Amino acid sequence: MPSMADRPDLSVDLGRGLRLRTPVLVASGTFGYGFDAPSVDRSALGAIVTKGTTPLAREGNAPTRIAETPSGMLNAIGLQNPGVEHVAGEYEPTWATWDVRVIVNVAGDSIDDYVTVARRLNGLAGVAGLELNISCPNVANGLQFGVEPGLAADLTRAVRRATELPLIVKLTPNVTDIVAVGKAVEAAGADAVSAINTYVGVAIDVRRRRPMLSRISGGLSGPAIKPLALQAVWQLAAELTIPVIGIGGIRTASDALEFLLAGAAAVQLGTVNYVRPQAAREVCDGIADYMRIHGFQALRALPLRPSREVARV
Amino acid sequence: MTVVIDTAVVLDRTTPMAGAVELVVSHQSAAAIEPGQFFQIGVGAAHTLLRRPYSAAWSSRSSGRVGFIFNVVGAGSAWLANRHAGHELDLLGPLGRGFDLEGDGPAVCIAGGLGVAVFPGVVEALVARGRPVAMLLGARTAAQLLPEERFAGAEVLVATDDGSAGHHGSVVDLMAATTPSNVFACGPTPMLQALVDEARRLEIPLSSIQVALETPMGCGVGTCLGCAAPRRGGGYLLTCQDGPCVRAERLDWSRMTDAFHG
Repeated sequence: MPSMADRPDLSVDLGRGLRLRTPVLVASGTFGYGFDAPSVDRSALGAIVTKGTTPLAREGNAPTRIAETPSGMLNAIGLQNPGVEHVAGEYEPTWATWDVRVIVNVAGDSIDDYVTVARRLNGLAGVAGLELNISCPNVANGLQFGVEPGLAADLTRAVRRATELPLIVKLTPNVTDIVAVGKAVEAAGADAVSAINTYVGVAIDVRRRRPMLSRISGGLSGPAIKPLALQAVWQLAAELTIPVIGIGGIRTASDALEFLLAGAAAVQLGTVNYVRPQAAREVCDGIADYMRIHGFQALRALPLRPSREVARV
Repeated sequence: MTVVIDTAVVLDRTTPMAGAVELVVSHQSAAAIEPGQFFQIGVGAAHTLLRRPYSAAWSSRSSGRVGFIFNVVGAGSAWLANRHAGHELDLLGPLGRGFDLEGDGPAVCIAGGLGVAVFPGVVEALVARGRPVAMLLGARTAAQLLPEERFAGAEVLVATDDGSAGHHGSVVDLMAATTPSNVFACGPTPMLQALVDEARRLEIPLSSIQVALETPMGCGVGTCLGCAAPRRGGGYLLTCQDGPCVRAERLDWSRMTDAFHG
């Protein structure tokens, strides 16, 4: 019986040597490149996942880019980012000195774009892994990489060949069968999947009689999508062998525990970072308290029903 | 940048003008606020999510107090308007860049509607520097004007849409009677656009005009990239980091969006 003073083991292994000290990550687009967030205690973070990064700098979409909706928000930022050369030259050397690991989120218009970013970041000490944003449209055919298992697998396979870094594929929920996409990227060499990216949504400004966002539709995040995200994570954790990182509307330790109980190996906090920059610390401490109180010594004991991953360990 | 997340205690709630609320809070950062900076205020209204950005109307180094003036435009501001003495507020800030008050000669402050909310502290700071200050106030009607005594030491000129006080028309029309070396502006985007047009006509250089921007905002600290404002020459500034107070010459006025945030 562990004493109350014992800290449970919060470390998590996401594959290919990507071992994190806590299961609490901050999601892409909600923490910049790790430099802007105020007064954050980084020691609670398992990893920072950066803003989506493309080969060349992008200006992003015209305003209005965000709109609050009931218990959520829509965003259509448009992948504004400084490009991979700036990230590798200006940010990565600093990351290499941090005690928190940095996972670079990668985006693009073509398989070549993703491969270019992956190659540039390969072997850099400050980059702990890559997360592929496969919700981007492929300019070759206009179809998002993440909506078609074959296309998602082609992309994953090409990036897998371009880098030795741990590779997480971030799945879009705007699909008929997310498990099919998850299985396809697993077979193509993904070390883990993160689920989910935002749901496509629209909000209308009734007073001005026009869409709230300049791009009309945007990605819905926040507590509004949490049950939908849990459904996806529950399904994926049952069917995949690789770890699933749960994302979607997590605000509290209790929310995070729902994902861990559903079978997630780790979680990402997203929109909550805008509201409570200290949320990661609170969630991390809350998970540790829960494990202590309920006698769990390691995270892998948490899932309600054994996933194939847990059964294998 | 030292950003503080802290609890502030509401000391007073008043109605400074028709349709507006003023909250006075006690806050540890009061002494560090530059006129024009803002706070992200947590709101507890049901089904809301994001903090709400509000410029400090004024702050007092000696008393440790900060004032916020706002109107009710949505669920968040309605919740905030129901705070009373003794209630606690969750404040993130001060954030962003305030007005650059450096310079000599006459300063003109121009406010449209609730844009006036940033100016009590700005005028006080300009007057304290010994500069002659004109405060141009625009409102729909006389009752919605912040009282003149809030701008001690400044010459106050008034315009109303309905002619119930001062000039009958736009506050921008009052610019022609001034000879500013610096202009400080806050108000709806169409008013700021009219100001820029009028400044060009009057040959007031845009480099001498600073505007306090109001855009929808997510985080307030530069991570969400939601508060983009079109930059002259292409791309975007972030209201939260590059502003909210920016020189008019840095913005692409042909691409400005009249953004709304409840």
